[in-house]
Amino acid sequence: MEWFNALLAGNRIFTPNTIGFYWEGLVTTTQLVFLSLLVGLVLALPLAILRGSKHKWIKLPIYAFTYVFRGTPLLIQLYIIYYGVVFFDGIQETFLWPMLREAFYPALIAFTLNTAAYTTEIFHGAIKSTARGEIEAARAYGMSPGLTMRRIILPSAFRRALPAYGNEVIFMLHASAIASVVTLMDLTGAARFVYARYYAPFEAFLFAAAVYLCLTFAILFFFRYLEKRLLAHLRPQSG
Amino acid sequence: MADNPIPLEVRNIKKRFGDTEVLKGLSLQARKGDVITLIGASGSGKSTFLRCMNLLEQPDEGDLIVHGETVQFKQTRHGREPADWKQVVRMRAKLSMVFQSFNLWAHMTLLENVIEAPIHVLGKSKKEAIEHGHTLLERVGLTERADAYPAQMSGGQQQRGAIARALAMDPEVMLFDEPTSALDPELVGDVLKVMHGLADEGRTMVVVTHEMGFARDVSSQVIYLHQGLVEEAGPPQDVLVNPTSPRLKQFLAPKY
Repeated sequence: MEWFNALLAGNRIFTPNTIGFYWEGLVTTTQLVFLSLLVGLVLALPLAILRGSKHKWIKLPIYAFTYVFRGTPLLIQLYIIYYGVVFFDGIQETFLWPMLREAFYPALIAFTLNTAAYTTEIFHGAIKSTARGEIEAARAYGMSPGLTMRRIILPSAFRRALPAYGNEVIFMLHASAIASVVTLMDLTGAARFVYARYYAPFEAFLFAAAVYLCLTFAILFFFRYLEKRLLAHLRPQSG
Repeated sequence: MADNPIPLEVRNIKKRFGDTEVLKGLSLQARKGDVITLIGASGSGKSTFLRCMNLLEQPDEGDLIVHGETVQFKQTRHGREPADWKQVVRMRAKLSMVFQSFNLWAHMTLLENVIEAPIHVLGKSKKEAIEHGHTLLERVGLTERADAYPAQMSGGQQQRGAIARALAMDPEVMLFDEPTSALDPELVGDVLKVMHGLADEGRTMVVVTHEMGFARDVSSQVIYLHQGLVEEAGPPQDVLVNPTSPRLKQFLAPKY
């Protein structure tokens, strides 16, 4: 800790105290984004498959869901869930209330549904663009529709969706900043707090921006790596 | 041989797309070791006929008997459909198809393409499938390309790979849907050579092709289709060398 204190010496704003705030904010942001992406992905996968169903009673509700969540601002969705949840009769008596009263869970729900909607459309598009001939070959070789989906369509669609999904992950990281408007102390919330305390907008927000930049870079790096491994089949041979 | 069921028999297949009847009652019997080539102008229905044999297209009428087992159909609102998809899966596993545009699975290496269906459809062990896969790749001259992806291979290599994939199923009958039509002329020879070898070793094959040389040298029976009907059929020396129908004569006449 010696070097850390030395680093902060003579610094009015970045005290161990505020750094602690930023750290907790970073943890909250990471948890929020990671959990919503994870649950969103798990929801999106079956939705994307069913979105391509022939039955309109399966297809249409999913389309309605993705249309509404992609067609409205995330901030409005967050407001509706955060402020609206109180008005459900009896919800304050349920075991859910202690969670929903916190800003974290409404934000998690809003982000999860939002990313699920976008991810559903990304995967649906990728599934739809699977080469007809490859599906036909799977059928001709005796694969059932389920096996074809699992072995041929999804692995190929997943690879094709990867670049678009990487963008969605970065988008969610940046969109998570709006969680601070419903009092959540995420990274942006911490920056707002530090700004209000010291009236130092540049230091407070530039520091947060730098942290977001690092996170984005890490995500980009991760997806670059995945693409390099999984999209090898699309590259012309190098040797 | 007598107690062996006939690998593939189709009887009186009819198929219409909307108002056009493309197959007007076609039959075919492929006994063990037969190489049957289907020839005809485009639009004659030869590819559709072939695709009816493994039910990539559903025939509106007619019977399909694979290895002595008659495929059951039922009538639904949308037309005739197989009654039991499990039976279709079983029957397709006995007929493997080689496509005009290869249709290798792009996200898998060549070897993965070859072992995919044997493992997941036939239930072979991975080790066994890989061993067999390497043998087959050697056989089609692609030993070195086992780990290449389809996009990294030439058309001729892809098609030979697709033939290895078909062979990996140990099929009763191999169906070839214009296997050389999408290839550059200089690549056709390699693919035909592989197919020639398969015929020589007694594989039962049904081949839709424009390669008259191949049809003449290899087939046991040539069927000339015209507008969804058999115009002329028989051994190649009759059909190709001494055609009787004027239409077939015109079809076979040198074009340049």
